[in-house]
Amino acid sequence: MKLKSFSAALVMMVVVFALASAKTRDAKDDSAKPAATSQSTQHDQDLRLEGEKRFHSNCSRCHAAPPKFPPRMMGTIVRHMRVRAMLTDDDVRYILRYMTQ
Amino acid sequence: MKKYVLHPWKLTSVYCLFLFLMMLCGGIQAQDDSSLAEVKPVPVLTGSTAYFTRVNGGKVQDAPTVSPLLLLPIGDHLLIESKAGLSDTFSKNAQGDYAGTVSYGMAYAQADYITKYATFTAGRFTTPFNIYGERLAPNWIRDLQGTPISVPITSGAALGGMVRGGLPLGTDKVHLNYATYFSTANTNHILATDRSTGGRIGFFLPGPRLEIGASFQQVLQQDRPHAVGTHFEWQPNAFPLTLRSEYTRSSGTRGSGYWVEAAYRLSQIPHMGATELVGRGQQFFAAANLAPAVAKKLGPLGVDTNEGDWGLNYYFGSDVRASASYGRQFALGRNANLWTIGMTYRFVMPMWPTGGGL
Repeated sequence: MKLKSFSAALVMMVVVFALASAKTRDAKDDSAKPAATSQSTQHDQDLRLEGEKRFHSNCSRCHAAPPKFPPRMMGTIVRHMRVRAMLTDDDVRYILRYMTQ
Repeated sequence: MKKYVLHPWKLTSVYCLFLFLMMLCGGIQAQDDSSLAEVKPVPVLTGSTAYFTRVNGGKVQDAPTVSPLLLLPIGDHLLIESKAGLSDTFSKNAQGDYAGTVSYGMAYAQADYITKYATFTAGRFTTPFNIYGERLAPNWIRDLQGTPISVPITSGAALGGMVRGGLPLGTDKVHLNYATYFSTANTNHILATDRSTGGRIGFFLPGPRLEIGASFQQVLQQDRPHAVGTHFEWQPNAFPLTLRSEYTRSSGTRGSGYWVEAAYRLSQIPHMGATELVGRGQQFFAAANLAPAVAKKLGPLGVDTNEGDWGLNYYFGSDVRASASYGRQFALGRNANLWTIGMTYRFVMPMWPTGGGL
């Protein structure tokens, strides 16, 4: 009986988690709709400078700057370094942008 | 008074519930986490190879090594990463023939579930204690090839679960990074780990590029020693200097020690920008009243040692580096000169079409 209750609770948890994940996907789909693409050169420059600053603050603490790789490779490398170097979410966003442009 | 007995299945269900809630929090937080979704990552094979000749107290050894690291991203939040090591250490024997020992191992093989403020890791991973093991150990990163004597004081690998992450503390001027883990015991000769728990906390100031932190490790087997550690790292903005230091103290037989390292890149001197000068000083204090047999079994951790090292690194681009160093070791009854010369190469290659760009 206890085992059945436990199994039922687990199933409920999985269902709730699946619903939460679906909600996440929906939110991403909404955000993928065409947005205004005209960004000022100054804004791009600011983002690049911020990315460069964060790269030097975090990555250069341990190793020399790597060459710039294709974005899909750099996405993997930055994800690895996010875990290893415990980068913040903002650091990852700026550094990925800086290293892929 | 009624006594409560916690059955194993109850404990398991509580643990499952805790993990589930943490995952749920991560899933909901991921709604505004677009950084990982912007680029669809591909599997990557990276790592390093190295060849070093070492002279330790007149004994010459050559050691080629290769350390491949496979990164396999899945979806927006998962990463599988696995790093292995293979090395052959050989030298001339009394007959003039070369004889060597091949050694291999699995540094880590872990699955990471990444959310905005926390990463949940399961598998075999590097123990989060101070900074050397996790950040500086790869031979293409470390400024001096010799590992500090105090690093093996703590258990360096774990098999179990870990929660870690980094986040700004209210302001972007101070970042907190944290890691906590639990490891089970494993007696496999390649994958050996201790049953232990612990963690690390660090405060990083991105402006002055300064980090200070502390670590703790409690071994839960045999004589159950614990260890505490502190680390420090600073890169002044005004000149290309890196200062690092660690201190570790164990309550068991493995003693205590510290090291301080400075690396200066000669980028302010014309034509010398690819050259780096390095110096490191360290002291190790063996535990008191060690029985001779125990001291012998502990090897370098069984005897008081002072050591100073000086090195030179030259960077051929970003992936190839030549290194040379000299050190003088003062150990009880065993002073020695330590010479090292060699090269490292860091490689990165995609394991799937990248679609170009850059």
